[in-house]
Amino acid sequence: MKRDLVLVGNGMAGARFLEELFERGAGDRFCVTVFGEEPQGSYNRVLLSSVLAGKHRPEDIVLNPPGWYRERGIELRAGVRAVSIDLQARVVRGNDGGDARYDTLVLGTGSTPLLPPIDGLGRPGALIRGAHVFRTLTDCAALLREAPQARRAAVVGGGLLGLEAARGLLRLVPEVHVLQLLPQLMEQQLDPGGAEVLRSTLEGLGVRVHLGRQTAAVLGRDRVEGVRFADGTALECDLLVIAAGIRPNVRLAREAGLPVERGIVVGDDLAVPGFPGVHALGECAQHRGRTYGLVEPAWEQARILADRLSGARPNAMYVGSRLATRLKVMGVELSVMGLSQAAGERDEEITFADPARGVYKKLVVREGRLAGAVLLGDTAPAAALLQSFDRGIPLPDNRAALLFHDQEGAVPIRVADLPDEARICDCNGVSKGALAAAAKSGCGSLEAVCAATRAGTGCGSCRPRVRELLEAWRAGVSEGKRDAA
Amino acid sequence: MSAAEIATHCPYCALQCGMRLSSDAGGIAVRGDPSFPVNQGALCIKGHTAAATLDHPDRLRTPLLRGPDGALRPAAWEEALDRVVLGVREVQARFGRDAVGVFGSGALTNEKAYLLGKLARVALGTRSIDYNGRFCMSAAAAAANLALGVDRGLPFPLEDVSLAQVLVLVGANPAETMPPFLRYLEAQRAAGGKLIVIDPRRTRSAEMASLHLRPLPGTDAAVACGLLHLLVREGALDTPFIEARTEGFPEVKAEAAAFWPERVERLTAVPQAGLMEAARLLATGRPAMILTARGVEQQSQGVRNVFGFINLALALGQVGRRGGGFGTLTGQGNGQGGREHGQKADQLPGYRRIDDPSARLHLAAVWGVSERDLPGAGPSAYEMLSTLGEPGGVRALLVFGSNPVVSAPEADRIAGRLRRLELLMVSDFFLSETAALADVVLPSAQWAEEEGTMTNLEGRVVRRRRLRPPPPEVRTDLQVLCELGRRFGHASRFGFEGARQVFEELRLASAGGRADYSGIEWEEIDARDGVFWPAPGQGHPGTPRLFADRFPTESGRARFHRVAPTEPAEVPDEEFPLYLTTGRLLEHYQSGTQTRRVAELIQLAPLASACMHPATARRYGLRDRGPVTLVTRRGSGRFTLEVSRRMPEETVFVPFHFGGEAAVNRLTHGALDPLSGMPALKSCAVRVEAR
Repeated sequence: MKRDLVLVGNGMAGARFLEELFERGAGDRFCVTVFGEEPQGSYNRVLLSSVLAGKHRPEDIVLNPPGWYRERGIELRAGVRAVSIDLQARVVRGNDGGDARYDTLVLGTGSTPLLPPIDGLGRPGALIRGAHVFRTLTDCAALLREAPQARRAAVVGGGLLGLEAARGLLRLVPEVHVLQLLPQLMEQQLDPGGAEVLRSTLEGLGVRVHLGRQTAAVLGRDRVEGVRFADGTALECDLLVIAAGIRPNVRLAREAGLPVERGIVVGDDLAVPGFPGVHALGECAQHRGRTYGLVEPAWEQARILADRLSGARPNAMYVGSRLATRLKVMGVELSVMGLSQAAGERDEEITFADPARGVYKKLVVREGRLAGAVLLGDTAPAAALLQSFDRGIPLPDNRAALLFHDQEGAVPIRVADLPDEARICDCNGVSKGALAAAAKSGCGSLEAVCAATRAGTGCGSCRPRVRELLEAWRAGVSEGKRDAA
Repeated sequence: MSAAEIATHCPYCALQCGMRLSSDAGGIAVRGDPSFPVNQGALCIKGHTAAATLDHPDRLRTPLLRGPDGALRPAAWEEALDRVVLGVREVQARFGRDAVGVFGSGALTNEKAYLLGKLARVALGTRSIDYNGRFCMSAAAAAANLALGVDRGLPFPLEDVSLAQVLVLVGANPAETMPPFLRYLEAQRAAGGKLIVIDPRRTRSAEMASLHLRPLPGTDAAVACGLLHLLVREGALDTPFIEARTEGFPEVKAEAAAFWPERVERLTAVPQAGLMEAARLLATGRPAMILTARGVEQQSQGVRNVFGFINLALALGQVGRRGGGFGTLTGQGNGQGGREHGQKADQLPGYRRIDDPSARLHLAAVWGVSERDLPGAGPSAYEMLSTLGEPGGVRALLVFGSNPVVSAPEADRIAGRLRRLELLMVSDFFLSETAALADVVLPSAQWAEEEGTMTNLEGRVVRRRRLRPPPPEVRTDLQVLCELGRRFGHASRFGFEGARQVFEELRLASAGGRADYSGIEWEEIDARDGVFWPAPGQGHPGTPRLFADRFPTESGRARFHRVAPTEPAEVPDEEFPLYLTTGRLLEHYQSGTQTRRVAELIQLAPLASACMHPATARRYGLRDRGPVTLVTRRGSGRFTLEVSRRMPEETVFVPFHFGGEAAVNRLTHGALDPLSGMPALKSCAVRVEAR
């Protein structure tokens, strides 16, 4: 007997959850209904900035086409928003009036852009002309359409998304400004030192950064003509992008009577405590007091919830995620993970700064393990550091070395300087000493030495080194004679 | 060629280098055959010293039987074969026909592999037959069959490698596993080609590369998906090819969308810049060729790893183009032919499936038996070995040319299983670790003492020739197989007088199959420097290059497959904090039964060293050349430490050629790839101890 599963929200978290669920063969177990508000279906939001940057076409970032749902017998209510949940009757109602009964409910309602209190900006869904949020494929398409006509764009918000939007616009708009309320960029991921180097790098690329500036009002009656700051100054612009953070979508859950704080409260089992069969994941979920705005935690939650609900690992638990991210901005290398500064006396910081070259690197170490890192201007060590960070591997004593990627550049060694036991021909295991013996016993030519020792008769790649040796010895013999004389 | 000289091929790897043998009072002389196109006269040290095993004092010269005292003693052939026949009959009477197992090898000639399958299916009537190639080629084979419709390791001659403007070696280290192959890499480089090597270790092959990517063990599939993601992004796909000649691309493209470089970096530890550079090279270099080997294949998701790289070659439209495409580097000497002619659990000769009704009818007709009497598919190698002696498992095992005590994962457990058998028969030329556990040991002829054919990594069928007869009390495996067939009541079906007669039947048996040998004439093989299968029908010239205009799939199109990368079966944790990976040394071959007995080789590579980055060694207080114990959840082993900057810090490498305390497969993981039965030999979690 199949059970009814209803998924509300078909974004990065919800769509991933479905994939994971069906990969575990849960198709025999559940009848699945999906409420997906976005009419285009689900797409990979991570690549939105890549679409804005012109690297991906919009159709390339679609996660699963309608056929995918059909093949799996999933009822996809595309373009339908869930408007209420009856927890007693176990029914979700859509804005088309259709109901869906559930035994198991999964909420992946995501989040919406936070609109700061700016006079004249308009309200969600009805912003003044020329103002946009940067959240959906529709937003992205609108920006791509308008940007080529704009002369000056302003982005409110100096976080990850704001900077990615700014860099994407720089391709299309002659002048791009970033308006940041706080005195530094990317305050969630960077310490002040790193943020300062980032600011100067971005300005070098042509992005104009305004720090500690509160945007108070939009200028212009019918469309954006500029912004006014709280200090009374103003900036003219004809394109405005709001990237001031996100807010979990919890209204549906709150109105249904589920426990909601910043997000929908879930336990390590990703279930809402006290409401059997109700789960939440992704940006709308609050786990151990935290909400997440990155894709990796959402996908980790999707995997674990699919493990539990499919019966593959019914006791799988989510214990929180380690956060790491990269700024996807052309011309800026920035990788951050975990803490950006020491959070207590037991934490150590190791910092290397070369602001003139745009380089800033920092490690935060706790109890011999990596608790966080900032790599700006040179992210080569990131791949190795991420491993230490993700796996909690104890760090070596020489921490500074971790900040500099071991290039392993083979130091070219002159064959003549090698010891006698050094192997010259790998294929046939011929040492330098053996070659010397052959040369001494009268093999004068390369061919003769190779025939006598088998050096160079396998892959042949050592022949240049054998020749080099022979030449060195010939020269050495004549030099030796001169010394004797 | 002087009168006393014969032209044959090296007994070791799948290159099957041409070699010439001659004998005089001073012994047997070996030289590379300058006229054979694959190696053009080159040999590595294993080939040069190959004759040292022929008159080696350890050589088995009579059959051995285990006596009541538990010791092996010399015995006559009659007595030894009686014991085998009696043991097999008893086991089959008590436990059923499938309780007798046959375990073959990728070192056997085509004729032996064919006859071994026939012995199992016809004379013993057992479904339980598989071979050590399961640990070697099964993942690449399954992937190529599903995606391209046929599994010929290289679907083109080796010379095409030199034409690749960008060449990717994935989990492949030919500089050590098949050194003469490097001549083609040198030629490729000389022609301006780029080489990308994907391997956690900085191997000698990686040192030759223009770009070396070092993924964490077991994360290759994510690298492949990440590269496809970038190729989509760069608009580097060959859309006309994808549309005209493939199917299944939209699903694979959608999957790749989730592997953006930042994520791949975190999953694999491959720096984003390296991944992007690799994608750039692949997007621009034409032709582009991708070759995989055991590094990606010996994983619990080996088939899907290979799918990832076949997908790339297809998406770039390179498969079937001269100098481009996809291939896998076969390992064992006859690893290719050995997987075509019926010593695989699910297969009949000619690379046919044993569950294909028409294949069964064809073979039943060739063998003169009823189709109903042919058994169905049996368990894969590791499944067979790990249920030895259990209810429903194999109780009597006949092993030819294989040493699973050293080469199978979780080898301690396998050794324990072998001890529980009612009968273990091993045919080999030395007392291998597996033979040492046997009830009956049969001494077999070596490569220079027998005739037959081998099929090298290109699908090129070549002749093995006899320089001299075997020692007096030593028989060829073909003689033994024929004698066993006769004793089990099938004299007329096993009445072969030598390899050529077996080959003639193999031609008939393979006719119409995917690996069709029917057009290959015994006399013609040398005249044409070997013949590439398929050669369907009399007078067919052979097929050096496949896929030029169609794929041998039902639709005629190649098929993209979703990769669905997952974590390896075991990853490091607090208790076992490092990766263990295994592999090969230039000086040794397979389980080392032969090469560990060659003085010159053992002098160059005497020990199983555990290789580790200096920083890792320091962390655990280990010193170079000192003792080190490696411990996994399966067992432990003692090794000598070799500190090496070739190693990544989180990984320990041990070659698997050694036995006893230094047999690293006592530590490896037996998790199997669900699509191929390949064990996860290339990655597990390990702890190190300084003693």
